Amino acid sequence: MTAKGKALPRLDLPPLRQVGRPLRRVDALGKAVGTTVYAGDFTMPDMLHAKVFRSSEPSAHIKQLNVNKARALPGVACVLTADDLPDGKLITDMPGQTGQERRKESDAPVLAARGVRFVGEPIALVAAETLAIAEQALKLIEIEYEVLPGVFDPLEAIKPGAPIIHKPDNIVASWKIRKGNAEAGLAAADLIVENTFRVPFIDHAYIEPEAGVAWMDDQDVINIRVCTQVVEHFRSIAQAVGVPHNKVHVRGTMIGGGFGGKEDITVEIFLALLTKETRRPVRLAYTREESILAHSKRHPFIITHRTGVKNNGRITGAKINMISDSGAYPYLSPYVLLYATVTSCGPYRIDNLTVDSVSVATNNPFASAFRGFGGAQAAVAYEQQMDEMAKALAMDPLELRKINYLKTGDFNAIGQQIKSAIWLEEEATQALAALGKKESVSDDAIKIGQGFATTMQSYGRIMWFHDTSRSWVGIEQDGTIVVRCGAPDLGAGQANSLCLIAAEVLGVSLTDVTFYNSDSAVTPLAGTTTATRQLYMSGNATLKAAKMVREVLLDRAAQHFREKPNNLDLADNKVFIKSDPQQWLSLADLSKMCAVDGLKLQHLALFAAPFADKLNPENLQGDIFPDFTFSAHAIEVAVDTKTGEITVLKSVGCHDVGRAINPIAVEGQIQGGSAQGIGYALMEEVQVRDGVTRTPSLSEFLIPTAKDLPTTRAIILESGTGVGPFGAKGIGEPALTPAAPAVANAVANAIGVRIHNLPLTPERVLAALDRAKRG
Amino acid sequence: MLPEFELLMPRTLPEALEMMDESSKVMPLAGGTNLLVDLRGRLSRPQTLINIGGLDELRGVRVEDGYIVVGSAATIADLKRNALIAKHGQALRQAATVFANPLIRNRATIGGNLAYGSPAADAAPPLLVLGAEVELLSKDTRRTVPLEEFITGVRKTVRHPRELITAIRWPIPPEGSVGVFRKLGLRKADAISVLSIAVMLLHMDTGDCDQLRIALGAVAPTPIRAAAAEDLLDGGPLTPEVIAQAAQLASEATQAIGDIRGSAAYRKRVITALVQRLLTNLAKDTKEKKH
Repeated sequence: MTAKGKALPRLDLPPLRQVGRPLRRVDALGKAVGTTVYAGDFTMPDMLHAKVFRSSEPSAHIKQLNVNKARALPGVACVLTADDLPDGKLITDMPGQTGQERRKESDAPVLAARGVRFVGEPIALVAAETLAIAEQALKLIEIEYEVLPGVFDPLEAIKPGAPIIHKPDNIVASWKIRKGNAEAGLAAADLIVENTFRVPFIDHAYIEPEAGVAWMDDQDVINIRVCTQVVEHFRSIAQAVGVPHNKVHVRGTMIGGGFGGKEDITVEIFLALLTKETRRPVRLAYTREESILAHSKRHPFIITHRTGVKNNGRITGAKINMISDSGAYPYLSPYVLLYATVTSCGPYRIDNLTVDSVSVATNNPFASAFRGFGGAQAAVAYEQQMDEMAKALAMDPLELRKINYLKTGDFNAIGQQIKSAIWLEEEATQALAALGKKESVSDDAIKIGQGFATTMQSYGRIMWFHDTSRSWVGIEQDGTIVVRCGAPDLGAGQANSLCLIAAEVLGVSLTDVTFYNSDSAVTPLAGTTTATRQLYMSGNATLKAAKMVREVLLDRAAQHFREKPNNLDLADNKVFIKSDPQQWLSLADLSKMCAVDGLKLQHLALFAAPFADKLNPENLQGDIFPDFTFSAHAIEVAVDTKTGEITVLKSVGCHDVGRAINPIAVEGQIQGGSAQGIGYALMEEVQVRDGVTRTPSLSEFLIPTAKDLPTTRAIILESGTGVGPFGAKGIGEPALTPAAPAVANAVANAIGVRIHNLPLTPERVLAALDRAKRG
Repeated sequence: MLPEFELLMPRTLPEALEMMDESSKVMPLAGGTNLLVDLRGRLSRPQTLINIGGLDELRGVRVEDGYIVVGSAATIADLKRNALIAKHGQALRQAATVFANPLIRNRATIGGNLAYGSPAADAAPPLLVLGAEVELLSKDTRRTVPLEEFITGVRKTVRHPRELITAIRWPIPPEGSVGVFRKLGLRKADAISVLSIAVMLLHMDTGDCDQLRIALGAVAPTPIRAAAAEDLLDGGPLTPEVIAQAAQLASEATQAIGDIRGSAAYRKRVITALVQRLLTNLAKDTKEKKH
């Protein structure tokens, strides 16, 4: 379902023929029939198998580490400890970008040397002739710990006297927003509403655990075939291993889900070290349990909103406090916190605003990127706060929001003007309308509730990173098209979008385009597949490169037809005269003519996002993101008040995606994102006690099954005002963000009382009902 | 990865029993849905696995001397689609429909579900209310043990290492018996039960109920019967007052513990609520039947 958009910006292209049509994705068939090859599928002759020896203690000094017996085991090729390594770090700042936010000396070492800070921290690497021998070798590694006091709660970690994870204190990062006068704003309010919300650690639970195979070639280049969101980690890998940047070649594969969990380095450095040491191919693939132990988690947050509002619904001021648990090492915590801070008050105009945010180190599993990247955690809080305010004012939740929504052209919390369309009211209205009337039930114990959330989520990188992407488009002599672009494809349709853009511009069908991607040495570097940036960045780069090829083709065809290039068009693998389509030439023939003339039929284009200077962390006022996607999600639930069970009955996501490049892919994102958001709301939690995860596998860490999810209805709006190709906005992360708070609001609507902590377990539902009964 | 083990593939039941007799470090393998996970996690270390999943003698559901006899290697999916189970094991059929997920249901067997000795085994409460017995065979012995005595603790059963569970059997319930099963998990499929309840009874023309049985899963070291609640209800009418009292008694019969899935207090409370709900619905059915 597509609503009529506002006037599209003028493009120097004829009307779109393929963009916007629900075409089958180029990667669909391979996945459906199982011919797509994933990182774990690769083997090589003479290959070794690797395993990682990990800490069993959350906080300890390593008194003694002895790997002699493991080394002596027949079939063991190599055992590496910190003593064998250059002083490498698992460097995980924004690869290929400028801007460094993490503290010196707080980066995770590749292998722990003197001490360990979380359960699962890597200590030693083994490579052996078989996996069984590698596993056996792990058992022969002798380690003696001196257990040190740990800290497992960020609120404890910021108290004086708490164990310090990284000197001088446990504050990993902090940001502030200072806008207007929050005190005065609160003083002017008729009503002040204060709530504290908490969200837990969760795991990405992608279907494909981390895996890779590495080998050295005859140029001494370390080749690493791996599933990663970031092939540009090759530089950090090279630094960690102690070789020049051009001696590491990352060959990314199609990815079975990333969601931010494959944004940081996973197996790459381990593989590089082992292959460099043994000069043999090495494979390392995590089991599900090791994956949960080894990779990042979504940051838990404690978020307090104190909001002042007039009786007429106008917000007068707000103070927001955010604390995130970064776990043992910072990784991307400073940036996650920044995203959360920037969107902390949501898509609302609040002129008097104070936000104080800190990320705190603990001996818990480390937290880093996760789809929504702080923005999702912020939304859980601000959208529940809006509903609580509406309740306190006895006002309809949508009415309250309408009074306070940012409008196109308004300035957001950090004083950045939003130039693209803000269609929140339209989105919420359509989502609620699609939800329809509440279902009726005869059983008094079952309560039905509806709720919605409207959110903002950036797409594209922080502008002070000076983000760029490159793409290469060429036409072959038979008229087929090749796209080469380094963008990793997470399964979200990144490659498909790029192919579709090239197909549109060059007038061929989607099946006539072949793509090569995700290679750090062979495909043009396109940056990370994170931050909902690939359609925006690499889509624009591909559009630019394809237009350059188109121009060459049209100029040559113009000569042939003795027409102006403007009077010609490309479609159906032909060039033709617009006013007389019977006069045409096949692209194959045209391409050959160009080749005869020595014309340039392959073009590399660079797209640069708008750059800005770094903002002052003490007030964060200025431009920070290229643009935002604004979204609504509506949910209906049934709550069993005797057992606390929640059933999601209906789910509708409504998003202005600017322009849907492929509506099927957009729907897929909205359905997948909302499924993940519903899981976040209802059941997902990596339970950690004293640093030890109590949910070590997918038997304990639950994600929703098909039975837990109604089909999410996707409503796609197209304002055409995004900064991506053809006016597109990003949808990858925005698809998730509104779903969890919408569920929380629906549950509160059903039972008449707010549960402040996710996930909304049956037990918490009953506890909330008890609280309400007691008054 | 899986540890190394020897896998034996008997072609007949006697051959399997022979193999079972040769060593105490053997473990029968049927669906493997618990066993392989445990092997991979090194929670179980048998040297030899004996694959009994393919033995024809252990498959199928049949009527024998007034009993329903289910081969121990019948899969949960077999139970779900079997007409005899639908008629004479209603609660078991309901448990089979919500058991794990379709892939597991195609592999997991009823014998394996009981042999594992989990307090949360979803087949156990329905079989308890059906009054099921477990048939155990070794090379030289044959015995039948009531299910209530078969599971003795968390992951403990009376099965001797050389014995195989060959069948599960229960007397055909009297005409008019109804059975229900309710499981509470933290998601709607593929979840280990936080708790489960099975109820079976026979509605009398007088409006009283007879042969009432209540069994509870995941709220004690073994699946249990709620005897005090049964005694209170059995033979009388299902009035709201007595139902409420029985639900309370059922909850008191539990020895629930807290774990990552829920606290002890939550389990006890929801046992009360759901036993009450199930009985109330059953009472309503009687009334509707009478009118």
